[in-house]
Amino acid sequence: MPEGKYCNKKPIETPEEVNFLLSDTSGNTYYEEMKSLDVDSDLMWATIQKTMKSRLKTWLEICAHCGMCADSCFIYLVNKKDPKQVPAYKIQSTLGEIIKKKGKVDNAFMRHAMEVAWSQCTCCNRCGTYCPHGIDTGIMFGYLRGLLYQQGFVPWEMKIGAGMHRAFRAQMDVTNEDFIETFEWMVEEYEDEYPGLTVPVDVENADILYTVNAREVKHYPEDLAEAAILFHVAGENWTVPTEGWEQTSLAMFAGDWAACKMQVESVYDAMERLKPKRMIGTECGHAHRATVIEGPYWAGREDGLPPVESIHYVEWLAEALREGKLKIDPSKRIKEPVTIQDSCNYIRNQGLKNATREIVSHIVEPGYFIEMSPNKEHNYCCGGGGGFNGIGFFRKQRNQALITKRDQILKTGAKLVLAPCHNCWDAIRDLEEEFEIGIRWSFLKPLVIKMLDLPDHMKPEE
Amino acid sequence: MFKKILFATSATPASDHAARVAFNIARGYDAHLDIFHVLGVPSRGYSQVVVDVKTKERVDVDDEYMSWVKEEVNTYYSKYLENGLKFDINVTVGFPAREILRQAKDTNPDLILLGGTTGDEDESVYKKSVASTTLQKVAKSAKCPVLIVNRPAASFWGGLSNITFGTDFSKSSDKAFDFTIKVAKALDCEVNVFHALDITSVSTGKILSQDDIEQKIREAFRMIRAKYEPALKELKNYSMDVWEGIPYIEIVKYARDNHSDLIVMAHHSKKAKQEDAILGSNVEQVIVRAGCPVISVNR
Amino acid sequence: MHEFLTGICFWIALGVCLIGMLVRFVLYFRGLSWQLDRVAYKAHPIPGMKGAFRSIYKWLLPYGTYGWRTQPFMTAIFFGFHIGAVAVPLFLAGHNLFLESKLGFSLPMLSACVADFLTWMAVISAFFLLLRRIVLPEVRILTTREDYMVLFVSLAPFITGMMARYQVGDYGFWLNMHIFFGELLLIAIPFTKMSHVFLFFASRAQLGMDFGIKRGGMKGTKMAW
Repeated sequence: MPEGKYCNKKPIETPEEVNFLLSDTSGNTYYEEMKSLDVDSDLMWATIQKTMKSRLKTWLEICAHCGMCADSCFIYLVNKKDPKQVPAYKIQSTLGEIIKKKGKVDNAFMRHAMEVAWSQCTCCNRCGTYCPHGIDTGIMFGYLRGLLYQQGFVPWEMKIGAGMHRAFRAQMDVTNEDFIETFEWMVEEYEDEYPGLTVPVDVENADILYTVNAREVKHYPEDLAEAAILFHVAGENWTVPTEGWEQTSLAMFAGDWAACKMQVESVYDAMERLKPKRMIGTECGHAHRATVIEGPYWAGREDGLPPVESIHYVEWLAEALREGKLKIDPSKRIKEPVTIQDSCNYIRNQGLKNATREIVSHIVEPGYFIEMSPNKEHNYCCGGGGGFNGIGFFRKQRNQALITKRDQILKTGAKLVLAPCHNCWDAIRDLEEEFEIGIRWSFLKPLVIKMLDLPDHMKPEE
Repeated sequence: MFKKILFATSATPASDHAARVAFNIARGYDAHLDIFHVLGVPSRGYSQVVVDVKTKERVDVDDEYMSWVKEEVNTYYSKYLENGLKFDINVTVGFPAREILRQAKDTNPDLILLGGTTGDEDESVYKKSVASTTLQKVAKSAKCPVLIVNRPAASFWGGLSNITFGTDFSKSSDKAFDFTIKVAKALDCEVNVFHALDITSVSTGKILSQDDIEQKIREAFRMIRAKYEPALKELKNYSMDVWEGIPYIEIVKYARDNHSDLIVMAHHSKKAKQEDAILGSNVEQVIVRAGCPVISVNR
Repeated sequence: MHEFLTGICFWIALGVCLIGMLVRFVLYFRGLSWQLDRVAYKAHPIPGMKGAFRSIYKWLLPYGTYGWRTQPFMTAIFFGFHIGAVAVPLFLAGHNLFLESKLGFSLPMLSACVADFLTWMAVISAFFLLLRRIVLPEVRILTTREDYMVLFVSLAPFITGMMARYQVGDYGFWLNMHIFFGELLLIAIPFTKMSHVFLFFASRAQLGMDFGIKRGGMKGTKMAW
């Protein structure tokens, strides 16, 4: 059986197709079908010749096999230094083999490559900063994922995730109406406490266009209210778009580049339609990576920049605190040992470490903040990045990978972990559930709201 | 009076007391009962895995599982569901408070009915990541009155004849009063308006002299008369009282003495002083302690 | 034999090496694609150049980067080998006298004592690099036959050169062997992993531009990636 009912090379395009694939519980049949999925070697080789240029070729070729990347990889360390987990080995034995064999690899090899690409690398890019030759294995794994996706060798949840973006322009089945309705509902719920709280929809020429993660709409709508409250208190002129509000991209994790383009263009269209001064996304790492850092390239923007200046939530928050738009009541600052999780996607891969630390300096009582070790650009992945969190098929491997972060947190002695990234937040939540080390974790918004020093006119009437 | 009731349940013994009240009200007032069960908390990022609240197991949620859970809920309450009760069962996935509020937003019930907290819910890992419990959140944000049955002792609903309305003269208390009058008129009950003077030094900042206390009690009486008596006069039976002490204890005591079968109070969206302390706002304490159902009115 | 090696062979080896390097260098940069690599090279030349320069410079400094500092022993033998492997062939007095006679110009020359030291340092470091390959599981699993060949080809001129230098046995034989292996090395450079002698700069520059333009450089990060 070359193409399965569930598992095949065809991307998911419609809500019906999403539901159909979802109906296969845990993807059991999907993975069964995958065992007999044909490999289209000609297509793969043709794709490689079209898309693999000097950078990737050179990386594969000049790797000196020195093994200096080994210790940089937390998955290698956490798996008892299994040599098969050395980044260079992982990529040479998968992408490297495909190139060597000119795409003529079999089904078993592809399934193995899938396992390596999604369960042995979170695309955290840490190894890239430890290679004397500047070889970024994370980027190569991103490329490999694209090849695997094209051939249908992709974890079930990733296929669904990419399909959601194609069908809904969101990572979950949240429609544009759901988004606006939920946002308005949440704002209504909080307007007693914050008189005048609104959600400005589709306002042109606003200072800020706010974009979110669909999971907030679906499961944590408080986050929307919190964003509204902070913009409101800071006196910002902000808006949300009725279309193009989803900043994330599971398609990026899946390697579905066409869906990446569709998704990011929906956000860029909103920017061009509403002409805001800036775009600000929610506290999410990969969403920022997808829409702000990688997105311009998928959308074919030669300057590598989104249509309007786009910043991460932590950059805005740091700025609002610095400029006094938001005032913190010093007596309400965090007075317990606290640490911060540096998200790979905007700390290592966009250098925003100072923004988060500036926020910390405002909201944490001096002396209570403890850095993880290593930290900033050198911090380890939370253990669930790159799609790892969501893949049931690789749950065991993911839980093993959480140990790095668990031990890092334990070493700080902190009881509270600031996690301004959805993926990190999830991974830390899961590691607490898995290992019960007695920590709490939080996004920044709810913490900041609790310690705001509200101007008098914003206080609710008695 | 009640046409549409949203009964949020865990479909476990923890909700049994509430269930008894829910079915009694629905039957007694010929209301439509929406039995709503949040079957699990989403987990693992965007995976399809949730932790089932009943079995505590990690399960893959799909349509099949959802309809299985629906069937389970139906079976669990089967003895109540006979004889033409108007009801439907809805199950969903999410964080309970949020999903209950979402369901309420979508269906606009006249009353939300909640069971008490389950013991082991407190140990759940999700709890730590959210500021307050399901109960607090729903009571705080719901647009309709929220009826909470916490203790088994509170679940013997034999029709309404006596309501205790606890007031602190706030705006939301006015709303709660309006609701009380509405219920009392519709069901022909006695209403006892009650104010408890908070004499704990925590809130007054000093120890009051007896003269001070009595002076304040007189003031409160005057307030009650002015605010509520005109409306109360339309009822057959009513009384007014002001006691001093720890407010929530006094209200529970008062309701017990008066054989009230319902306490109505306002829920303040304003946060209590020690918001993270175990002692929440008065209404939350009353809910925990009362020997009858408590209705929290918000707006 | 000596005539042959220092005559036509030398010219061929040098030509193949230089032209090969040049061609591959040009091909590398021509093969960069802003859209496929997802780096806007042309749109942001200044941050790109800064990133590229910092990336190369810091990685050329022993212990200049976090990566080097986390593995001090590897860094020691790495630089021990590479400093010798670059300085000795280029600046050895003997080589420059030969160069002078062939091309009419010469580079600065090392004193014999420094040259000896660097040579020994390179050879001993290379021995440790070899040992590392054999002993450490994380390096062994990566190692292929080519890696040993490359190590041999780069080390052979040193060994033969030292044999000649210390006149172990027949000087003329070792000298010819030395020249032969030296020329083999030159020819190997553009076609094997040895290409890293120049592609190192290309690859580092690329990643430097990547980070310098897209991944933090334009946000003010001063890290050496």
